[in-house]
Amino acid sequence: MILIHINNVAQSLTEPTSLAAVILAQDIALDSVAIVLNAELIPRNRWQSILCQHEDKLELFSAVAGG
Amino acid sequence: MQVMNKPDAITECNTLNDKDFMRYSRQVLLPEVGEAGQLRLADAHVVIIGIGGLGQLAAQYLACAGVGELTLIDMDKVEVSNLPRQLLFSDADIGLNKALVAKERLKFLAPNCTITAYETSFNIKQLYGVLQKKRQGKCTLVLDCTDNFETRQLINRSCVEAYLPLVSASIAAFSGQLFAVDQISFPSSGCYHCIFPAHTRVSHSCSTQGVLGPSVGVMASMQSLVAMQLLLGMDSRCDGALHPLLGHFWRFDAKSLSWTSAKLTRDPYCDVCGVRKAIPYLT
Repeated sequence: MILIHINNVAQSLTEPTSLAAVILAQDIALDSVAIVLNAELIPRNRWQSILCQHEDKLELFSAVAGG
Repeated sequence: MQVMNKPDAITECNTLNDKDFMRYSRQVLLPEVGEAGQLRLADAHVVIIGIGGLGQLAAQYLACAGVGELTLIDMDKVEVSNLPRQLLFSDADIGLNKALVAKERLKFLAPNCTITAYETSFNIKQLYGVLQKKRQGKCTLVLDCTDNFETRQLINRSCVEAYLPLVSASIAAFSGQLFAVDQISFPSSGCYHCIFPAHTRVSHSCSTQGVLGPSVGVMASMQSLVAMQLLLGMDSRCDGALHPLLGHFWRFDAKSLSWTSAKLTRDPYCDVCGVRKAIPYLT
C-alpha cells in the first residue's frame, strides 16, 4: 500500500501510480492545475513518468491571473 | 502614447547628497542597503506592466524607495469599482488612463524618480529602451501586475527572449501567487510557461471572483520587497548573482494568512524557455 497526501488529505494507492493518473482519478483536468511534489513544482511534461512514492506530499492548485 | 518627466538626478558622483541621505535614511541604515545599495536603487529601471491593484502600489513603493526610473504600462482607465483597493486613484480620476494618472501622482510622491507612462497594452517593443539601458549597465527588472492570463504569458515570453528578470504577482478571491525568475542568473528555475503552459484553463480573476483590497496590498508589497532585494543584489553590470529569492513560487492564502513555498524547475521541453532562439533585437 502506498500512502500519499493530496492537499493535506491522505489517500492510499494500491499500485504505483503516475502523477497524471492521480490527478485524473480526482476528476481534475490535467490542463487546469499545477503540481507541487514534496515542495518542488513539477512541469506537466513529467507527470506521466513520475510514479508516486510512499509518503509523497502533493499540492494541486490552479493559476491565479488577477491583479 | 508615451509621456516622460525628467526630475533632477538623485546623485552627483557616487555619493548621496544630504537631502537624499535624510530622505532614505531608514533604508540606508540597513546593512543590506547602505549608501551603495541606495545608489544602486537610484540607478535601477523597473518596468511595471498593469497599474491596477498590484501595479499602483508597487509603483508607489519602488518610486518612493528611490528607484531611479519607472516605466508604467496600462491601457485601462480608472473605474469606480477600482477605488476600494487602488488607493492611488480617486473619484476625480474616473475615466482617465491609469498609467498617466499614476505618473502624475508619483511626480509629487517621489520627485527623484523619472517616470515614463505608456497608455497602451503591453508590447515587447516597450522593452527595447529598457534593453538599451541594460546594455549601458543599468539594473533592470520587469514586474507583471496584470489581470489576465494571456498578457501574463506574453510578458513571460518577452522577458525570456530579452533575458530580463521578471517578478510576477497575482491575486483573485483569497489566493495569491508570486514568483521571480531570471534566465541569466538562474535559468534552471525555468519560466511561467513551465508552471502554467499557455493552453492552461484559468478561471481565477478579480472581476469574476472578487477580492479584498488588503489581499491585493499584501501581494503587491511582497512583489515590491522581492524586486527591491533583487535590485540590491544585482551587480553593476546586471549579471545578477544567484539570489535566494529567485526560483521560488509562493502561494498566499488570504483566509488563513499562510504562505507556501515551492522550488521552481525548468521544463526542458518548454516552448518558451526550453529551446533558446536567436533574438534579432539583442544582436
